[in-house]
Amino acid sequence: MRVEKEINDLVTACAQCFYCRVCPAFQTIKWESVSPRGRVYTIKGLIRRKIELEPQLVEDFYKCTTCGACEEQCQTTLPLVDIWEHVRAEFVKEKVAPLPAHKKIRELAEKSGNPYGEPQEKKIEWIKGYKYNESGELLYFAGCTASFRAVELAKNTVELFNKAGVEFTFAGKDEYCCGSPFLRTGQRDIAYEFFKKNYNEWKKRGVKTIVSSCAGCYRTILIDYPKIAKELGLDWDFKVMHTSQLVNKLIKEGKLTPKKFEAKVTYHDPCHLGRHTKVYEEPREVIKAIGAELIEMDRNRGESFCCGSGGGVKSQFKDLAGAIGKNRIQEAKETGAEYLISCCPFCKYHLKQMAEESGVNIKVADLVEIVNNLVGSSDIKAEDIKCG
Amino acid sequence: MGDIPKSDWKVQRYLYTRDISSAPLITLLLKYVDEIYQPRNEEEVMEILKMAKQEGATVIPRGAGTSGYGGVLPVKDIALFRFSSRKTIMIDTTRMDSFEINEDEQIVECSPGAVWWDIEKKLNKKGLTLRIYPTSAPSSTVAGWIAQNGTGVGSLKYGGIAENVTKIRVADFNGVKEVEGKDLKYYVGMCGTTGIITKAWVKVKEVEDMHYYAFHLPPHKAGKLVYEGEHYAALYLDEGYVKLKNQSFGTNLPEKDTLMIATTEKMSEGDEELGEEIWETRFYPMRVRKLGPGLVAAENVLPVDSIPAYLNALHRMVKQPNGSEIWYVKGKKGAVLTFIPSDERKFLNYALTWRQSLRALRTAKKMRGVPYSLGLYLSCESKLLLKQDYEEIREFKKKIDPEDLLNPGKVFPKGVFPLIIGIGQKVVIL
Ligand SMILES: Cc1cc2nc3c(=O)[nH]c(=O)nc-3n(C[C@H](O)[C@H](O)[C@H](O)COP(=O)(O)OP(=O)(O)OC[C@H]3O[C@@H](n4cnc5c(N)ncnc54)[C@H](O)[C@@H]3O)c2cc1C
Ligand code: SF4
Ligand code: SF4
Repeated sequence: MRVEKEINDLVTACAQCFYCRVCPAFQTIKWESVSPRGRVYTIKGLIRRKIELEPQLVEDFYKCTTCGACEEQCQTTLPLVDIWEHVRAEFVKEKVAPLPAHKKIRELAEKSGNPYGEPQEKKIEWIKGYKYNESGELLYFAGCTASFRAVELAKNTVELFNKAGVEFTFAGKDEYCCGSPFLRTGQRDIAYEFFKKNYNEWKKRGVKTIVSSCAGCYRTILIDYPKIAKELGLDWDFKVMHTSQLVNKLIKEGKLTPKKFEAKVTYHDPCHLGRHTKVYEEPREVIKAIGAELIEMDRNRGESFCCGSGGGVKSQFKDLAGAIGKNRIQEAKETGAEYLISCCPFCKYHLKQMAEESGVNIKVADLVEIVNNLVGSSDIKAEDIKCG
Repeated sequence: MGDIPKSDWKVQRYLYTRDISSAPLITLLLKYVDEIYQPRNEEEVMEILKMAKQEGATVIPRGAGTSGYGGVLPVKDIALFRFSSRKTIMIDTTRMDSFEINEDEQIVECSPGAVWWDIEKKLNKKGLTLRIYPTSAPSSTVAGWIAQNGTGVGSLKYGGIAENVTKIRVADFNGVKEVEGKDLKYYVGMCGTTGIITKAWVKVKEVEDMHYYAFHLPPHKAGKLVYEGEHYAALYLDEGYVKLKNQSFGTNLPEKDTLMIATTEKMSEGDEELGEEIWETRFYPMRVRKLGPGLVAAENVLPVDSIPAYLNALHRMVKQPNGSEIWYVKGKKGAVLTFIPSDERKFLNYALTWRQSLRALRTAKKMRGVPYSLGLYLSCESKLLLKQDYEEIREFKKKIDPEDLLNPGKVFPKGVFPLIIGIGQKVVIL
């Protein structure tokens, strides 16, 4: 396999020290072929023709949530997630990837504009009854998971914005998938198409700041979009925020005054929000501001353990995603917290499912849902949250 | 073999056939392991050994594969001067990673694949800490370090790993036994050639307040200061290493010879901020590999009073950018690790740089030094390292493993490797 010189240089720099053994996939499967060190050595082996590109190799290469835990520990500071994504894109070029589930998601997204294959029109349904503007400087980017699978998060977010008097615009059916599932799985071309659609829409609406409640979308728009814009020769002057950052700001400015949340909670750093974009403290500041007792899990912030669902793992390798998620749930349980709070619909959805499957009695909620329930009244059914 | 996790997939065999070294040409004398097993307990280790014996297969134990002396690498039979081919089985201890802390006795009972820093994190919750650990602690295993006879952080006060285990359990073709006291010498540093370690009892201590101090001193003064007090650990970075460190970490440390002392004592002089910065990065000695990309290393243990002359000789000998770090050890010795960044893809240049490693060994030996470890590459030095124990341990090996199935070619010189390295050392001085 041929790779760019830069990738060749990087994999040659690997010290083989195995500090990257923290990898959730390796911790679950225990074989080198799914470890970051093994992946690096696999790439070296492919470049130097010591091994061949075969289906099992490709499959194991995809058993990675792109969580970035390996990168955090790396002896030689290798940008491992970039390397994985680059090589996955090479696999796609070589026609040995994408894997079946990822291919299916692409087909759905090609038809519908989102990876769930839902009609885009549905993106406008959940927001009915809330106040928003047709154009404006601040855009709420709900993301596909909150729009179709975790609607309560999207609703709680805009209700909270309305309560705080935040003026915002929303693209509705013209909000396309951010492209994250495709960038992570090596299917870059379709991500570029979605980028263009979103970019043009934002320009049309006069947007200056994009706020997202999904950690994956936030990472993609903050880190990948400027690079894509540069490649396409477009200017990039958007500010990107995650809702946890905006909510923290609103609380600090006195625009939101939530009631006290008298509960023991623990916080799960979503990989795309924590390690990828270094947003560790704002969600914790919000938790402090609402007066909850925060008990940290052993692995937190940069050392946080992935929920197991990212990078295309949940769609293609359900058992692996499940085992990683249950491991995290166990860790949350050990803190003795009543609530497991996260800041990503994808993490929430998966961790909630894993808590149920493993019979662990912990309520899994998004930070914004909790805060919204502590500010005035809410019509949204939030079965897990008991506030006030 | 019941349901012991196993793989004989070509890619997996390729991935398990390596350690952190990347020696030029030598790969020609290596082969891929044939099967990798991941036993979950001692009984499964015994099952694998029994099968190996029946099949006449050789057995290589492996922890995290972070050693750099070829101890986990399978050697071609022809390179061992054997002309009938034997199957090679690897016992990977990844799944045997549990440990139990005995607070009262300040001992941790460790399975072989227990990882040092996992142990440390759990110990800290009980107010305890490891007495010593390697700077590869985030990944390396208990049995791997015992089998390497390592020294590391804390060895200034507490000595090497042999002094810090009270007992081990070992599996060989005859069964499992517990070993303690002076019999530990049959296993410590033996790279699994005399048996598979299945358990180890490791001494720990209470957490103490530690201070870190940095001093800019030439090596002879550093050596003196280190042994003036009862300090916990001391690391010396020569100017060359500080330069490489700055380049690879993107830091701006003063580019001078620097000594860091970690101690429970209060010292009246020394830069605490710099001391702490060096301490905090102790697990990343190989970041300099980025600069090659690739690295040639030489590691020798010398009496402290020989170190200044040894460093001088290295500076004269090695022309390309290089640097050394020294961890001081109890008994007035220092483990000197010299790094020479070199692009491992540029074959000729890389091979020539590798010669420097052998030259460094030869120089160290002239100054009463010894190689840090033996493994495969330096089996020719086992008499020097094991001294009067060599013959006795060799006899012991023959008795328990007459067919030489346990990690052949390691520690006890056999076949082509000791010849090549022996000749290599002679040729390099020309
Ligand atoms: C960044 C870095 C820093 C390092 N710092 C140090 C240091 O401070 N001090 C030091 O001494 N070394 C150091 N090393 C080298 C190496 O990490 C150590 O020697 C370590 O102890 C090896 O442990 P491992 O689990 O990786 O063993 P492996 O490399 O897997 O094995 C080492 C040897 O032990 C044998 N072995 C493994 N398991 C068993 C078993 N159960 N029974 C019998 N034999 C077995 C193997 O066959 C092999 O010969 C460092 C390496 C790196 C990459
Ligand atoms: S990104 Fe996460 S899952 Fe992927 S190799 Fe690194 S640690 Fe493992
Ligand atoms: S931590 Fe980095 S340098 Fe070490 S083995 Fe993993 S990828 Fe390689």
